[in-house]
Amino acid sequence: MSQRKSYAVGTGLFIVLGFATLAYLATQTTSVANVRLGDTYTVDVEFANVGQLKERAPVKVAGVRVGQVKSIDLAPGKEAADVKLAIDKRFDKIPEDSVATIFTSGLLGDQYVGIEFGHARKMLADGGRLALTRPAQQLEEMLGKFFGAGGAADNLGGTYTVKARFSNVGALSAGAPVKMAGVAIGSVASVQADPVKLDAVVTLAIDRKYDQIPDDSAAAVFTSGLIGSQYVAIQPGGSPDMLKDGDELVLTQSAMQLEDLIGKFLVNGSPGEKKPGTSPDASAGKQ
Amino acid sequence: MNGRAASDNVVLRSLAQIGDCGLFLLTLLAAVPRSLRHARETVRQVWFIGALSLTIIMVCGLFVGMVLALQLYHVLSIFGGTAATGEVVALAVYRELGPVLTALLFAGRAGTSITAEIGLMRATDQLAAMEMMAVDPVAYVAAPRFLGGLIAMPLLACVFCATTLLGSHLVGVSWLGIDNGTFWSNMIAAVELRTDVVNGILWKSLVFGAVVSLIAVFQGYTTPPTSEGVAYATTRTVVASSIAILALDFVLTAFLM
Repeated sequence: MSQRKSYAVGTGLFIVLGFATLAYLATQTTSVANVRLGDTYTVDVEFANVGQLKERAPVKVAGVRVGQVKSIDLAPGKEAADVKLAIDKRFDKIPEDSVATIFTSGLLGDQYVGIEFGHARKMLADGGRLALTRPAQQLEEMLGKFFGAGGAADNLGGTYTVKARFSNVGALSAGAPVKMAGVAIGSVASVQADPVKLDAVVTLAIDRKYDQIPDDSAAAVFTSGLIGSQYVAIQPGGSPDMLKDGDELVLTQSAMQLEDLIGKFLVNGSPGEKKPGTSPDASAGKQ
Repeated sequence: MNGRAASDNVVLRSLAQIGDCGLFLLTLLAAVPRSLRHARETVRQVWFIGALSLTIIMVCGLFVGMVLALQLYHVLSIFGGTAATGEVVALAVYRELGPVLTALLFAGRAGTSITAEIGLMRATDQLAAMEMMAVDPVAYVAAPRFLGGLIAMPLLACVFCATTLLGSHLVGVSWLGIDNGTFWSNMIAAVELRTDVVNGILWKSLVFGAVVSLIAVFQGYTTPPTSEGVAYATTRTVVASSIAILALDFVLTAFLM
């Protein structure tokens, strides 16, 4: 009988253990998990954009973890996310005018909240608020800032249109920026195939501010960086006459195809094919 | 239930086995209500099949979690995505590795002992003796073991998954230095209760538990009453269970995911 008792108790323990682990897996490791917090105090922060920030993401000061994100909410009627940070009580000397920023660890990493200290005498207390915030940087915006691709010209003074013919526009699409010296001066209005000449006709809408562009300037389809989007670059020529509305850019350089580039590398710089309308410096391949 | 004598042809023999097994399942299910009168016997089987398998399940789970975290960390560090280690471990274990590995271990640890035990009962005419005494051996011997496996398997799978997380946490967070909060937050954000825990762990392990227990009981019950026959039946329990687990896993994944 005693042996029977022992296995009955053991079986009961086993079943309880099994259900306990099931409860643990179901509640603590899934999306409905409750957030258990230790000895922390809560700080409210408002972000214009939280990006991919998740609950329980780390909060860091000088790159060292001091707490975690407690909750992310969107108050109805507001266009900013309410983020509650649970910060360890040990780190209670955070100035009130500190700046909370959403950073990304690495290019593809996770996002976290970084706090940069201000200079105020008053320290953050429980329920306090960090007024100064910087939202999550969207990758597109960052790339845009790097390569200027996102910053289309403001077009305040209206635009004038210029046509350019390319034998290959690559992935260029309407709305892509037109840049001169790396600065956006307009945008691509349309990309169409010419049914007769069998090439691509790109209409460029250039800001009227920039009306001093020589009419022998060259247009090229470039790519911003290795993985960036494509844009049209204007390389100014030396002609005394300026581009007017409806003009056509004669000198063009088509989009580089990766295959062409590799081919050029492999055959030691000699251009594999001469495309009509290719500008003289096309084979430099430095883009 | 003399399908083995039907033919020497492998295909026909296998088909006959599957048919016998299906019929045996019906007999077994019919005997379940009667076997509940011997509920104590079922509890004893849960103890032998489940609780005594805990050690192997937990040790294996721990090491599976550790090696998963180690492997994933090095691959994910190429992309700077080591924070996803916990998430990938949890998804892989909940959806596939947990139920499948538990079932394979379960077949090796508990399935074989069921087959050998019932097989020896058959070989030593204990089953025949029970019938003589008007005790239904299916209700008294086979069904409790089947039910025990059915109950124990999901619980074992849960324990396996939990120890896997523990192992991956040990290696990932304590050793390799992944952030603890990110480890859990990524996992929590990725794992869903219904698709991963219920469909993954519970349903799969329940089906695997039923299949492994059925095969084990059936092989033991229909073994030729010789020592060679028992040995052969034990081997076949492991082989047939493994094949059934992996094949069913594919089918279940296709249906449940």
